[in-house]
Amino acid sequence: MTAELFFQTVVNATYAASYMALIAVGFVLIFGVMGVVNFAHGELYMAGAYTVVALYADQGFPFFLSVAAGLAFVGVLGLLMELALFRPLRDNPLGGLIASIGFLLILQTIAVLGFGVRMKNVPPSTQDKLVFMDGVVLTYQRLYVIVAAVALLSALWIFLRKSKFGWALRACAQDREAAVLQGMSINNTARLAMFIGAALAGVAGALTAPLVSPTPYMGHPVVVSAFIIIIVGGLGSLEGAVLVSILYAFVHTFVTTLYDGTLANIVGLLLMLGVLIVRPTGLFGAKERA
Amino acid sequence: MTSKFTISRRDFLATTAAVTAMAGVSMPKFAFGADKVVKIGFLAPLTGEVSAWGKPGLDGCKIWADWVNADGGVKIGDEAYKVEFVAYDDEYDPSKARTGAVKLIKEDDVKFVMMLGGDPWPGAAPIADKEEMLFSTLLPSDLSPETELLVAPCEVHPIYNVTGVEWLAENKPELKTAVVCAQDDSLGKPSVATYLAAFEAAGIEVLDEPIFFDPATTDFAPLMSKMLALKPDIICLDTCYADYVHPLVEQAFQQGFKGQMISCTADFYEKLVEKTSKEFMEGFIFQFPDFDDPAMNAEHVNFNKPNDFYNEYVKRYGKGEWSAVSWEYASIMDLWADAAGRAGTTEPVKVLEAMKVGGTGRQAFGEAKWWGKELFGIDNALVGEWPVVAIKDGKAKIQDFKSIPAWWDKHSDLMIKHMKALNQMYYQRG
Repeated sequence: MTAELFFQTVVNATYAASYMALIAVGFVLIFGVMGVVNFAHGELYMAGAYTVVALYADQGFPFFLSVAAGLAFVGVLGLLMELALFRPLRDNPLGGLIASIGFLLILQTIAVLGFGVRMKNVPPSTQDKLVFMDGVVLTYQRLYVIVAAVALLSALWIFLRKSKFGWALRACAQDREAAVLQGMSINNTARLAMFIGAALAGVAGALTAPLVSPTPYMGHPVVVSAFIIIIVGGLGSLEGAVLVSILYAFVHTFVTTLYDGTLANIVGLLLMLGVLIVRPTGLFGAKERA
Repeated sequence: MTSKFTISRRDFLATTAAVTAMAGVSMPKFAFGADKVVKIGFLAPLTGEVSAWGKPGLDGCKIWADWVNADGGVKIGDEAYKVEFVAYDDEYDPSKARTGAVKLIKEDDVKFVMMLGGDPWPGAAPIADKEEMLFSTLLPSDLSPETELLVAPCEVHPIYNVTGVEWLAENKPELKTAVVCAQDDSLGKPSVATYLAAFEAAGIEVLDEPIFFDPATTDFAPLMSKMLALKPDIICLDTCYADYVHPLVEQAFQQGFKGQMISCTADFYEKLVEKTSKEFMEGFIFQFPDFDDPAMNAEHVNFNKPNDFYNEYVKRYGKGEWSAVSWEYASIMDLWADAAGRAGTTEPVKVLEAMKVGGTGRQAFGEAKWWGKELFGIDNALVGEWPVVAIKDGKAKIQDFKSIPAWWDKHSDLMIKHMKALNQMYYQRG
């Protein structure tokens, strides 16, 4: 491997880690607080991408305004999911999971009806790029994703640790009944978790829309990767989700570059299997969800 | 009571003659016997990642049917039949293809079924055999001696890909090295074997092993970094789906590739131009023309009014919606209608016999022969000339029509060698 290819692979992996972390952290936050594996999370990512298709590609709105709209729209979609799907099934995790699968099909169908089955072309907001070492390239479009991931996840970390609402979220995630006894509102924390979790997926989809050519089915592979990440990181662990996103993205990208993508997928699954054998709660997971 | 409106015998006769004459002008060529209808099955992916090679074909068929029906329908025996397409979305899934085949044949009573082929074909094959139904595929790599009722009368994927490489070697001899990638499936593998044979025949070295990527790949940056690290003169995108060609080309652009690109298809290439630039896409080689190309009016082209067809397609579905398959299923219908007319029946086996009479047929790009025994174990592919297309100033332009059989006569051993190496010969396929 030449130095140029090595550093290009590092750049590629950094981008992959960034958008995966945005998705996985949202996924894990929803699981932590709601106790539901939200299989529609990939479709929330898709909804973010289609917001950019509708506003930026089709209507000519500014790119970053469209991304912000994607964040807000998908966040609100998350609130609606909490209200209509997960709240009535709060004591039935299996029911919540099935409802999320049903909802993903609804979202896919809406995307098909609204935008057609084929991929949508989203022009890049800029063709500018950074070039290092005479051949290592990082486009601004990818840089935006990296910057957004760092900024949003840092803000979330500070929010969870420094604010009253953040403490409430963590408390509910650790022990819902104890949190209720302390006077915390389950409904409020659930709403907050769904909004933040969905919005993170939405912003990931919105920012990557020009990089992936959105399709109604783009959520599936993303949610599979996110699922691996949160299992390896430990169900309910935000730190685990971030660190394993980085680990997974680097391993996957380097194996893809050096060998091939199929082997990289196998390595990802073996990684999950190995961690589950050695540490069934995941690298950063507690015995109960935390 | 006397009517205000009286009519003389002369007026009556004149009026009747005029009305009859007008009716004659506006009437179809044949009178429809009680509006007889022949149903044709369209079993292809209409949703999902491969829908770009199904849905535009159905759209093209609608134009074909409107034109043919407006012209009186298809004459079979003494009757004229309107043609009606019955579509079933197989989602590029064998089990759904099987269900669709049963429905189309048993419930809809179709007389012919058109498929994209590839992975779904094994699902439909037992039904075709059991029901003795004539099926068509766009992928001759589906053909085998066990499936005598499957024909590939239009597209000769992946064999025509040799013409692009041959043209490139003749016109850009300075290009000496290539890298090849494709999704790891029944479309990618035989196509990779074909490109490997074509590059070897052309004296172009393929750097490293071909890269087969997982169809679930979403980020193509690592793949392109890997290919560019080999510093090739040519990047070959093989028969990647449009959903892969676009991000791959975009990555090549973003990572600074300056060389030649070649691909089986470049569906919706205007969007590629928009995402990259006219300069970057200049000279991109692929195998599917826009039918408004003046070269499509050449005498040897058999497709009916190609320019008008393209314009009608663009009018109905939009400029950027034309794809590799927009015309192909319609072209197959030309052959089927001609054969059914000559057979005097829609009975599948007899139509097939009529289609193959004399061992030749009128393929879209010229007279072609029923061929394929060495490669597919059966002469059920209609093979002749195929166009080489390049993007020039942002628009697809036919560069040449080149003969596939002529290439085969010189290099069949190479093709068989590479097909064998990737287990793609008919007797190797599971």
